[in-house]
Amino acid sequence: MDKNLLQVKNVSKAFTNHLALDDVSLNVPEGKVYGLLGPNGAGKTTLLRIINHITAPDSGEVLFDGHALTGADVDHIGYLPEERGLYKKMKVGEQAIFFARLKGLSRADATRQLKQWFDHFGIADWWNRKVEELSKGMAQKVQFIVTVLHHPRLLIFDEPFSGFDPINANLLKSEMLKLRDEGTTIIFSTHNMSSVETLCDNITLINKSRNILSGNVADLRREFGQGRYTLAFNGDGTELKEMLDKMARVETVAPGTDPSTGISLPSTTLALKLNEGVTPRDVIAAANERVEIASFNPLVPSMDNIFIETVERNNRQRKNEE
Amino acid sequence: MKNKIGIIISREYAERVSKKSFIITTILMPVLMLLMMVAPALIMNFTTQEAKTIGVIDRTGVLFPLLESSENIQLVNSDLPVDSIKAGATGGSCSGYLIIGEDAVVNPQSTAIRLFMDGPTTMEMEQYLTGQVSKAIETVRLQSYDINNLQEILDNVKANVTLITQRTDKADNAETMSGSISFAIGLVMAFVLYMFLIMYGQMVMTSIIEEKNNRVLELVVTSVRPFQLMMGKILGVGLVAVTQVLIWGVLLALMAAFVVPMVMPETAMAEMASYQAGTMDVTADNYELISTLSSLTSVGFIVEMLVYTTIFLLGGFLLYASIFAAIGSAVDNVQDASQLTSFAMIPIIIALICSTSIANAPMSTMATWLSIIPFTSPMVMMTRIPFGIPMWEIIVSIVVLFASFALMVWLAGKIYRVGIFMYGKKPTIKDLIRWARYK
Repeated sequence: MDKNLLQVKNVSKAFTNHLALDDVSLNVPEGKVYGLLGPNGAGKTTLLRIINHITAPDSGEVLFDGHALTGADVDHIGYLPEERGLYKKMKVGEQAIFFARLKGLSRADATRQLKQWFDHFGIADWWNRKVEELSKGMAQKVQFIVTVLHHPRLLIFDEPFSGFDPINANLLKSEMLKLRDEGTTIIFSTHNMSSVETLCDNITLINKSRNILSGNVADLRREFGQGRYTLAFNGDGTELKEMLDKMARVETVAPGTDPSTGISLPSTTLALKLNEGVTPRDVIAAANERVEIASFNPLVPSMDNIFIETVERNNRQRKNEE
Repeated sequence: MKNKIGIIISREYAERVSKKSFIITTILMPVLMLLMMVAPALIMNFTTQEAKTIGVIDRTGVLFPLLESSENIQLVNSDLPVDSIKAGATGGSCSGYLIIGEDAVVNPQSTAIRLFMDGPTTMEMEQYLTGQVSKAIETVRLQSYDINNLQEILDNVKANVTLITQRTDKADNAETMSGSISFAIGLVMAFVLYMFLIMYGQMVMTSIIEEKNNRVLELVVTSVRPFQLMMGKILGVGLVAVTQVLIWGVLLALMAAFVVPMVMPETAMAEMASYQAGTMDVTADNYELISTLSSLTSVGFIVEMLVYTTIFLLGGFLLYASIFAAIGSAVDNVQDASQLTSFAMIPIIIALICSTSIANAPMSTMATWLSIIPFTSPMVMMTRIPFGIPMWEIIVSIVVLFASFALMVWLAGKIYRVGIFMYGKKPTIKDLIRWARYK
């Protein structure tokens, strides 16, 4: 099993009127990308602040590299907060050096490495410009550099893709993967599910201050895919649908006729989640009698599906509990 | 960790000291203050009017020879008839006429003395004429008693008192500055402290609000503890204040050491030297002036005041900056802060208001208490120190001041830590107290 760089154990944190985190635990394996998902206000940022030693949990503990997290560990962590800004009146280079020095780099080291990064991102000519002259996207590049400059063992990005255009978002993704390949552990929170599929090895889904789902992305998708299939067919599916409703939860993905024009389309596609005890064979047999089957495939759910379904199910459960 | 505070301090310091506004105020303020001192003299110079001639029609026949002309007012004998004066037909040689009635010596309260002017008169003119005529009448009346050697007796009677204050509670019964000079210096010092505390305290607050608003704070606290950031900011701004005071102090000392000797007349400089050597004759006419001048321009005195100013400014600033930092962390904009800041500023304003009465009675019970209470002590102490107060009082005041800073900054740190992540709500004092209790 992989070594865990960061372990969060039963962490709870309450503010005046609400519980921000309720007994949250998670393990972040070293050298992997870890996704922290959840609806707005679920408590993700609070958790990240605790991991960064900015706020203290009411109960529970955070272990970094096997020992209880201390202020000194912050030097090995790079954090890009969701809400971020720079000193407007300060020059870009001077400011980047300031942040790098706060992370423990010497002025000379910081300057040398910053110049390299600035060249790498093609922004070397910004060095002597004031931050207020930069656009938001430009400032974010600078912030990214500042976050990763001191070669932290753990990188934490809170909503890294918000505010980036697709080109820069892709640049950021490839940089993140490069850092992972160099052995850096990365945690990032996001609402962008497609980035989770391409980047994350593991995820945790937090809803209303609780950890409701944790695991490896590939495993989770396989697990969620169990009993899910797509069925495409030609012909009148009315009778078939009645039949299938008894065997599975049915969702029409593509109808047989265009609803706006009434023109017949070549095939109808249904997404099925089979009921307990129903096998794919039963479905094929039932379909084969009534329509011409065009295709029958296992369905691999997107992270979007997993996110929405898990959160909604959790919300229903909580309501019942209350 | 210490090193991180150092980096924050140097950033705060460099940002402020390199600002144009700082450089300009630091250099311009002493110049402005000098101008303010010189201005009255300059204005007097420009408003001096050309000499006026007043014709005097003296019906008593004894007063005119006793009247003296001044630089601005020439008095000449005249015998124009009153009717032509009233009609304005004077030929234009005089701009006004003073008519002294026959019974002026006997009964000056009656309307026997009139001034006719061809335009508006000035207060100076009226006072001068009244003074001259009264003096002349007094002289005539005295002479009417027919006393021998009258002038000698009068000269003999005249007393010119010089009061030298010496302190029995100081070594060698040292001479001190006169009360009125201490009074003036005390008030000026109180005002300077008031200005600095408000200006630099608010600077800490607005700078925190700005950091919070443009979210740079979130980035900084990922590397340093919120408390270190707050402390670094307070100390950085404090250093800027100290720098400014020191620059002003040095400028002042330089002026005292080099500029004053250049502009002062040589005789005065010689007298000051003899005063400082203790050989000056206390009965000299200008003893008081010279003693004041020499203590005001003594470099030792300026340095002493500078040291105390720096200590109390720093202590007061640190205390108030902690309060302002807590307020700044809690609000989203300066408008929301106004209610809380006005609350924090009440003690400073009380101290400023009290400074006049404290300068009048520097050893009163109120003065002693207000100089121990840390919220008022910097200003009250600076008001009292020019009077020369016991050393132990100064030490107690300083100790209490810095101890309460330590307490206040600890409390402010707790509020700050929570406040910087609070957006969108205008906090009350109750909220602040609750935040301070968070774990």
